[in-house]
Amino acid sequence: MKVLRPLAALAVVAATALVGACAQPASNQPSDEYSSTVDQKAGEDATTLTLWTFVELHGKFYETMAAHWNEQHPDEQVKLDVNVMPYDDMHNKLQLALTSGEGVPDLVDIELGKFPNFTKGTPALEDLTSYAEPYRDDLVEARLDLYSKEGKTYGFDFHVGTTLAFYNTELLEGAGIDYTTIQTWDDFKEAGVKYHDATGKAFGTADTSAQWQANLLLGQLGGDYLDADGNVTVDSPEVVQAFEILKDLQDSGAVAVPPGGQPDTEEAYGAINKGDFAAMIMPEWFMSRFTAYMPDLKGKIAIAPAPVVEGAEVKTVGGGGTGTAVPSVGEHKELAAEFIAYAKLSKDGNEEIWRTLGFDPMNTSMWQDEAITHDPENEYVQYFTTNPFDSLNAVSDSIGLLVSATSPNAPSVNNLFTTETLNDIFESGTPVKDALAQAQSDLENELGQ
Amino acid sequence: MSTTAVKTRSPRVVASAPTRAPKRGDRSRSVLMGLAFVVVALLALVPFWAMFIGTFQDGSLLIRYGLNLGLNPADANLDNYAMLFTDSGPYFGWFANSVIVTVVQVVGTLLVSAFVAYGFVMYEFRFKTPLFICVLVIMTVPFEMLMLPLYVQTNAMGLEDSYAAVILPFLAQATTIFFFRQYLLGIPTEILEAGRVDGVTEYGIFFRLVLPLMKPAMAAMAILNGMATWNNFLWPLLVLRSPEKYTLPIGLNTLLTPYGNNYSLLIVGAFFSLIPILLLFLAFQRFFIQGMTAGAVKG
Amino acid sequence: MVNDVATPATVRAAPVVRRRRVGRRPAAGGSPAKNLLYSRKAAPYVFVLPFILTFGIFWAFPLGRSFLMSTQHILPGVTENVGLDNFERLVGDRLFWLAMGNSLRYTLLTLVLLIPIPLVLAVWVNSRIGSPKIKAFFKSAMFVPALTSVVVAGIVFRLMFSESETALFNQVIGAFGLEPEKWLKNDLTGLLALLLVAMWRWTGVNMMYFLAGLQSIPAEYYEAAELDGASRWQTFRYVTLPQMRPTIIYVLTISVYGGMAMFLESFMLYGGNNSPQNIGLTIVGYLYRQGIEKNDLGYASAVGVVLLLVILAINITQLAFNGMFRKGATR
Repeated sequence: MKVLRPLAALAVVAATALVGACAQPASNQPSDEYSSTVDQKAGEDATTLTLWTFVELHGKFYETMAAHWNEQHPDEQVKLDVNVMPYDDMHNKLQLALTSGEGVPDLVDIELGKFPNFTKGTPALEDLTSYAEPYRDDLVEARLDLYSKEGKTYGFDFHVGTTLAFYNTELLEGAGIDYTTIQTWDDFKEAGVKYHDATGKAFGTADTSAQWQANLLLGQLGGDYLDADGNVTVDSPEVVQAFEILKDLQDSGAVAVPPGGQPDTEEAYGAINKGDFAAMIMPEWFMSRFTAYMPDLKGKIAIAPAPVVEGAEVKTVGGGGTGTAVPSVGEHKELAAEFIAYAKLSKDGNEEIWRTLGFDPMNTSMWQDEAITHDPENEYVQYFTTNPFDSLNAVSDSIGLLVSATSPNAPSVNNLFTTETLNDIFESGTPVKDALAQAQSDLENELGQ
Repeated sequence: MSTTAVKTRSPRVVASAPTRAPKRGDRSRSVLMGLAFVVVALLALVPFWAMFIGTFQDGSLLIRYGLNLGLNPADANLDNYAMLFTDSGPYFGWFANSVIVTVVQVVGTLLVSAFVAYGFVMYEFRFKTPLFICVLVIMTVPFEMLMLPLYVQTNAMGLEDSYAAVILPFLAQATTIFFFRQYLLGIPTEILEAGRVDGVTEYGIFFRLVLPLMKPAMAAMAILNGMATWNNFLWPLLVLRSPEKYTLPIGLNTLLTPYGNNYSLLIVGAFFSLIPILLLFLAFQRFFIQGMTAGAVKG
Repeated sequence: MVNDVATPATVRAAPVVRRRRVGRRPAAGGSPAKNLLYSRKAAPYVFVLPFILTFGIFWAFPLGRSFLMSTQHILPGVTENVGLDNFERLVGDRLFWLAMGNSLRYTLLTLVLLIPIPLVLAVWVNSRIGSPKIKAFFKSAMFVPALTSVVVAGIVFRLMFSESETALFNQVIGAFGLEPEKWLKNDLTGLLALLLVAMWRWTGVNMMYFLAGLQSIPAEYYEAAELDGASRWQTFRYVTLPQMRPTIIYVLTISVYGGMAMFLESFMLYGGNNSPQNIGLTIVGYLYRQGIEKNDLGYASAVGVVLLLVILAINITQLAFNGMFRKGATR
């Protein structure tokens, strides 16, 4: 159509772009930004399983496990089609896909905070309880419970996520602090104040976009955001006390809000790497962030048990997690379930989880295996000045669980806390009681309680 | 701009009148004004410069330490460009998808909307007024409000994860119909009679006689619709599910994830996505401005 | 002459209709299909059919459904009618009102900024003094940001507003001796960032609207004003402004719509729909959160219905106030 000369110009650009696109070999294979480098050793007859995840490293791990699986199961080979999507996007899409029953993946990583959304009503996920049976004796039961509803397990996690303390020994020594003397929160505060006085910088972090430290304190104090029936209890004395402790740390100068609002953000990696913060109370998997994103701190970070409230029975809690689930509508759901149980629960899989992801896996039979845990070739063993499993084994019999994490109301609580409440307390200076009272009323309104 | 600098008796500040002799003091005002224009224009260009500078830096460092206008030569490198052209995964796939969707949408919308507008202008028929009121109503209903039921609807029609679902709702585009109607009102109806006398079908009159006359209006609307489609985000985000079908804005957004470490591709990809539209703008500046401001038609 | 294609008056004169002789004649006794092609009765319906279909399937039906869904509680597989419960819940929903307040505030401020400033710039560009080359550069430079997608603009502004001391805006205030600011964590600075993105993208476009309007004001008006000895301000006040009224009203109307429906700017600036203390939460953001993120379609539809009513109310009030209904907004 000669009428549309600008259109013709657009078409020219279109054609150019297309030629450019076709010249790119990568665009011929349907995948997203994730480009696979792992040989899955899948034969011609392998069954293709689509897998959604929001962590690129998880994708690589699954592909490595597929290669192991294919060697051991030549008749039941799998070929994973891994799709890495952004966190929010992937969970939203999964919700929509499960509702419509179209475009559902065979396997999907669901983050702990989102998991209860998918077990509401009749879960559209496969019951995986029987697939966990061969490994059950060695597993941390609490981590299976986390993804269970009415006795049925719907997801397998990677790790326990034991909350630990990470100290920058170089900075601590400079301020004359010995981290091994920090046992309780009082010790932590004392060290923090001393450090602050010596350096003018914050010792630890006051988190506004994550609840790792708050959950740890709640576990130690025996409190929770929700009661067993899902009723909101965020203004209960234990929750108030937990946040009073954190607020007191901030007021004393021991901790400050890090860039990005919590240690596990790109902005905070930069600040920690520069030495702006010396102590991070984070789940075990934060180790992998050090090796990947904070190379300057190699040989300077010590891992120790997290501070405790004096006399607490629960010394630490598991933090975060990703449950891999198998949607029920999948054509190959049995194979997918068998594969994922092998990948995430077997000793084989758990060794690989530690080796490549640096997680504290759920199968504790490997925690004691020094050949693996103290392997001098391991990048995590090399990076840190102490071995994480020394701290892990020290607390392994007192790892607690906030039962609220399994409640369908948990996502609402987490959303409100990480957007509103934590910012009210640590950024705006709203008194803890007022902020929590506000949260209580907002949540009651939202949940219709 | 200072209006007190020079006292002028001339009240004609706004009308262009190139024939008028320059007044005393106009020169200094002209210089001041030129200076102000240059400063404001440069400010408007700052983000482009910042992004350009950013393409030579490590994306994770940008997320950590922010973006500014300086570039430390020691940190500068072409790694991002090397990655863009060798290892950018699906980036050019998104690019091609965006181009395809935009071209199909623009051609389709222009033809269908012109067709409809022609019907409204050239004929009298029952329900004409109520139907035209519907056109006006669409222009005032926020699309975001319809998004959720529309999503449920396209799924029910089996259109999920398809470009059809992205494109179809905007084929008979209200703003475009309205604009074409205003334009066609200026075309004499005799053309219709002349065509009929010559034995052209009702549709032939539109396609062969009227459509060629609509060239300037088409150009303006092509730009307007093209920009809207090229930048459309929310609706394609809802509809498209497979990563290989993503358009550029959605694809870029997927790179903004803390779990993938794709920030370098994000910055260079974002910058690269501007290039075609900037080139088109330089070539067809007049049409762009007409298209973008076309809505302000005076009745 | 920016706007001449857009004004039907100029069009009327422009096209030269060349009469062509076409071989075919209307065949009186032709096939029914052929007759249909010549039928003047059927033609208008065929022409508007695509609109009727699109309107019905993709607008009217979903719109109706939206109203219906707003009175329902929708869970996967189970839908129950709850009357006005969703709206009652909205009334007591602090976050909804926060979102509403954010959207209204943003809309109002964009109106305050994005109408007078572009208008003044347009008047300057249209004045007879100043270098045409600089003006041409200025117009292009102001317009180019509008070509940038919000996604790209959001990424760049997010990085420039980073809380690190090395980010652009912290460098700027640092030059004045101020401490680095956490721009995107505080209510007012976050709003400032959103407004800056809006101004960056829209100042040029609005300026073009006004320029087109200015250029269509007949020169005689100004000559008459000059003869009367009117001051520059008086000319602006009594000639330019009244003549620019339709353009200003148009820009006002689309700005209200754009402001109230704002979502993506915030979504990109905050890297998602969750901003600290929800300072970036807008009505559409809340609709998205409830409908997509929390899968509560009924409640989200109620939010959508309220959004529609608010936009309609503002624009009807505004148009009535500006006297648009007396003369009729369109012909």
